[in-house]
Amino acid sequence: MCDALGIINFEGNSIDLNEMTQFRPLSAVSILGRYRVIDFVLSNMTNSGIDHIQVYIKNKPRSLIEHLGTGRHYNINSKQGKLHILYGEEEVTSSIYNTDIAQFMQNMQYIEESDEEYVVMAPSYMIYRADYNEILEEHIKSNADISVLYKAVDDAKDEYWACDTLTMDRDHRISEIVKNNGKFKNRNISLEAYILSKKLFIELVKKAAKTSSIFWFKDILAESCDELVIKGVSLRGYLGCINYLGGYYKVNMELKNYEIAKELFKDDWPIHTKTNDSAPTYFSEDAKVQGSVIANGCVIEGEVINSVIGRNVKIKKGSIVKNSIILPEAYIGNDVNLDTAIVDKHAVVNKVKGLKGDNPKLPVYVKRRDNI
Amino acid sequence: MRQNNMVAMILAGGRGSRLLDLTKKVAKPAVHYGGKYRIIDFPLSNCANSGINVVGVLTQYESVLLNSYVAKDEYWGLDAKDSGVFVLPPREKDTGLGWYRGTADAITQNLDFLDQMEAEYVLILSGDHIYKMDYSKMLACHKANNADATIAVLEVPMKEASRFGIMNTDADDVIVEFEEKPAKPKSNLASMGIYIFDYKTLRKYLLADEKTEQSNHDFGKDIIPAFLNDGKKLMAYRFKGYWKDVGTIDSLWEANMDLLDPNNSLQLMDSKWKIFTEDVGGAPQFIGDEAVVNKSIITQGCIVEGTVKNSVLFTGVKVEKGATVVDSVIMTDSVIRSGATVTRAIVGEDVEVLEDAVVGDKESAEIVLAAKKKVK
Repeated sequence: MCDALGIINFEGNSIDLNEMTQFRPLSAVSILGRYRVIDFVLSNMTNSGIDHIQVYIKNKPRSLIEHLGTGRHYNINSKQGKLHILYGEEEVTSSIYNTDIAQFMQNMQYIEESDEEYVVMAPSYMIYRADYNEILEEHIKSNADISVLYKAVDDAKDEYWACDTLTMDRDHRISEIVKNNGKFKNRNISLEAYILSKKLFIELVKKAAKTSSIFWFKDILAESCDELVIKGVSLRGYLGCINYLGGYYKVNMELKNYEIAKELFKDDWPIHTKTNDSAPTYFSEDAKVQGSVIANGCVIEGEVINSVIGRNVKIKKGSIVKNSIILPEAYIGNDVNLDTAIVDKHAVVNKVKGLKGDNPKLPVYVKRRDNI
Repeated sequence: MRQNNMVAMILAGGRGSRLLDLTKKVAKPAVHYGGKYRIIDFPLSNCANSGINVVGVLTQYESVLLNSYVAKDEYWGLDAKDSGVFVLPPREKDTGLGWYRGTADAITQNLDFLDQMEAEYVLILSGDHIYKMDYSKMLACHKANNADATIAVLEVPMKEASRFGIMNTDADDVIVEFEEKPAKPKSNLASMGIYIFDYKTLRKYLLADEKTEQSNHDFGKDIIPAFLNDGKKLMAYRFKGYWKDVGTIDSLWEANMDLLDPNNSLQLMDSKWKIFTEDVGGAPQFIGDEAVVNKSIITQGCIVEGTVKNSVLFTGVKVEKGATVVDSVIMTDSVIRSGATVTRAIVGEDVEVLEDAVVGDKESAEIVLAAKKKVK
């Protein structure tokens, strides 16, 4: 058991997968064929022994609520534990008012009521594996008021746009938190995963609400670097950041490589998800498949190269799917040529025989339930 | 939601000794099949899909794994308040330890369970057959004909009929005679070992059978003949579709290979009649950069970097670079190391086929079973 309340908050307004997030919150977007984005952070929490978890939803709750259910498939104890799905019930006049602070304030009673001494808070758009219980133990031993997970990266010019970056002294004490503007290669990227006492968490939330009605938790944190001891905790393993469509594409393309994926998929660290009792995948006589991740329930009759194929996808004879992500239940008809494409759920690509994205940062996107 | 008052009883006590090492530590119904299933998932899923709420599973041989598996009634969605899968192994009674002496005796010893469930009809099933069947239609036929018992039958080729229990019927499919493995069969309607009984009638016959010394306590040999002798109305219910009794290594291999035919009639992909099974965690399926995969069934958790042709890989199987798997069945969590070749074989669960090993042979008449922990 881990003496922390888990809070999965939603991402800020700078994070946008364009049309993909028109239909669902980012946390409910399908990833790697059989998961949703939220599965990684949620599994990190339950594998760390956190049994009481609040998930905050910004908008369009349907698909996420359906996916999370009672939380039983995340290995949350059905009697002692609880998965709480929360969202702001007050109407907001403009999306800028829909902040995590506003939602914490509206749901403050549920935070105050919980018995846990600490809070582990993280968004779902950062993909990594971390044992929060270990980090909490270190946090308690240290003199820090708040611990912040970060990763030192060398591609901050190309990726992590507008993510928080940390400036730290030798003891990892954070002196400044600023947004990544893409000017430098090497940055310490904040995973926005925070560990702190519940008492301080509540204080900061209330202070943020008083300071500005469009403040986010990260904003009050950036203002508190002098008053509070905020320390960085380095993540060593894989980090994926799904902050724009190109980032979503990149994470899928990286994780279809088993050598990278095995950092996340450990036998003693299962990534839980909701399953659908799909049959195993069938590869026909004509199938040719290389360098790909394939979910269950698919029928592959064509060629699949360097791609991620979601649950129950059909790829008919003569088709070539390359460097692409096909989301669950999509249908690719005969002799279709796809390269650097994202085909959303239940879409049908049949009449159009060729689609090619310009580059990995701009994959061509076929809308959910669209028929082309 | 309680849908009808038919209780299913699945006979799952048999070893299936012709499956050799595959059933050394598990009973036959728990043997793996089709990439991610166990054989007993088929009758259990059929029950769930037919709207049956209460299922008793009668276990005996090596039952630890099977008992804990079927007790997870949520796998098949049989976990609503008024449904459940009930594990019924032999138990000690005031008359002593009651081993199940035969298929009928297994039910007789659990009459108290059926009484408690207030069964009106009882459906008797085998735990080791692979097929999809809507038992609610069979019950409707049973009721419409006012039968005392209804037996599902399958038309088999006449020349094979002498291997089965054969039902001879009149023009209305009323059974007039039952012959166990007849030398000269008069019909080709083979019993599938699936029976629906009116519970009250069955109860009476089972209690009488219990007292009969020379009885085998078997449905086919004793109970059905007794019903016929007394002029009870027995209906044949004709089943059409895929049905397989996987009694041997060869037939288990064949049944897996049947799935590789794109037009196979079992249709595991049919979303309206899903076969439910254990929900295993673990990674998705990774196909490597140099892999060759065709005409195969591969499931979640597999890592394929070598060549896989005309084969079925179960959950968590690894095929390393330079390894070749052809015409074979590789069961859960086994590893085929680099340079190894597996042909016309079944590789059991958790087996490591070592580097450059050769298992099976393209020309062999029989299918090779490799079930040792390490295979050279």
